[in-house]
Amino acid sequence: MKIAITGGKGGTGKSTVATALAIELAKENKVLLIDADVDCPDDDIVLSIDTKKVKDVENMVPNFDKNKCIKCGRCSQVCKENAIVFVKGKIPFLVPEQCTGCKACEIACPVNAISEKKQIIGKILSGKKENVTLVTGEMKPGIEESSLIVNAVKKYIEPKEKNYDYIIIDTAAGTHCPVIAALLDVDLGIAVTEPTPLGNHDLKLILELMKELKVKSKVILNRSDIADKKEVEKTVKNFGIKIIAEIPYSKKIQEAYSKGIPVKHKAIKEIIKEIKEIK
Amino acid sequence: MKTITILSGKGGVGKSSITASLAVLLAEKEKIVAVDCDVDAPNLALILGVEKFDKEKVISTNEKAFVNEKAKDCKEIVNMCTFSAISWNRKKGLPEINKFLCEGCGACQLLCPQGIELKKVKNAVIGEAKTDYGFSLISGQLKMGESGSGKVVDAIKRKASKFDADIMIADSSAGIGCPVIASIRGSDFVLAVTEPTPSALSDLKRSLQVVEHFRVPYGIVINKYDLNKKFSKKIEEFAKQNNIPFLGRIPYDKKFVEALVNLQPVIKQDEKFKPIFKKILNKTIKYLGVKSKNFEC
Repeated sequence: MKIAITGGKGGTGKSTVATALAIELAKENKVLLIDADVDCPDDDIVLSIDTKKVKDVENMVPNFDKNKCIKCGRCSQVCKENAIVFVKGKIPFLVPEQCTGCKACEIACPVNAISEKKQIIGKILSGKKENVTLVTGEMKPGIEESSLIVNAVKKYIEPKEKNYDYIIIDTAAGTHCPVIAALLDVDLGIAVTEPTPLGNHDLKLILELMKELKVKSKVILNRSDIADKKEVEKTVKNFGIKIIAEIPYSKKIQEAYSKGIPVKHKAIKEIIKEIKEIK
Repeated sequence: MKTITILSGKGGVGKSSITASLAVLLAEKEKIVAVDCDVDAPNLALILGVEKFDKEKVISTNEKAFVNEKAKDCKEIVNMCTFSAISWNRKKGLPEINKFLCEGCGACQLLCPQGIELKKVKNAVIGEAKTDYGFSLISGQLKMGESGSGKVVDAIKRKASKFDADIMIADSSAGIGCPVIASIRGSDFVLAVTEPTPSALSDLKRSLQVVEHFRVPYGIVINKYDLNKKFSKKIEEFAKQNNIPFLGRIPYDKKFVEALVNLQPVIKQDEKFKPIFKKILNKTIKYLGVKSKNFEC
């Protein structure tokens, strides 16, 4: 079973819930935890795992053959990312960080002057703790297209998926490409939120996205006592889903988090009960 | 116009709360325009008490590929899509495009011009509102499942730059990917917010690498610094060792949550926070290189 932990708003406790859930589930099951927040992956820190690189993530970027190039500028015209700078009469040059490796330039070049060369855009790391295998995707700072790293991680774990009972995917904040890539083929998406107007606003957005992607969704209300929760309850009701657990604010959780100790809370057991029912 | 961008890497450390209070203070003495560059999950309008935008405009910064009957001979496009957005529909004998994965790069269209058409998609809405604090706010919202957030950020900033203002204050989204890069690009100063947790520091360092890449000067603010004073010291040490301007520390206070619930900046919720934000602002202004009146602390 593949479960995504998401939320829309940042800092609501996605990684806290994802890591705690993974540790608890791993007591009786084989669990793979994927950190798909490739912009800012933190699960290794939360779990104090020393991860090691298992793979570079590469994409193909254009390489211009100076002898063949007729300086027509067609490659620069077709590049939607404005990654190719063309000045009349000169060989074009690449802004590599902006290149997604889509190959449009290579296809468009009338004289086959563009070949491909590899560019490293990130890496995949892995480590283990208390029966939880962690696989982390990490984008190289400066690269724009986070979803390429998320997709590379998904490809990397694909042949290994059958060895695990549960795969937990910790997504990035927001609702854009890297989050969509992480949510696409999961069995369940759990949105972690908090009872502030901001949490509620962003919860609506992520629930709307999961509805659009046809992903079954549930909600966890974190820091459930810091404000009135009736607005979040209303949202959840409007989407016809339910809050499967509430975790009140606690200084202890906050401290554990800042020390890299996985959180233990009775709510985690409630979440697991709900997950097992769905499974 | 000079631009200050607030970013953090990690989400939920207080970017929008801090942006709102700084903007209100700044507007007391400067002509400003505020911009919410978090087009995924924009929150600045909420904190600034904007319930409805005065003007809204649907924009299109992206294209997507659409298949027609003539694509039946274009099986080769299935494997060439960098974004794995194309599959082969055996029933129809045609390629099929997953609209959530298509980035509109146009590579398939170049290979199969007769069978693929690129069409503009209306991927975002830009809103404009006058806040109760005398300045305008520009905010965007990416449509569900759409891509191109970086380009939407570019569009919002372009719009804001046409306002009659001397300073643009921009609230970025979490992460370090395309929308954040679009927020940083062209900024004059980055105010990086962090909190005393190992995750936040790790994310801060990653986002600062991006800021360095664009050669934008920056400084650090620690929010909720008293949740772990020892770790806050460590962050200040890090700033000192790397010659990064340290702009200030903000305590953890329940009033911040109260302010959020009441949909107002924390300095309006409680005046006691004003001196803290003024101090941060004075330092920021100094690095921004704007000749501005000093904010008395």
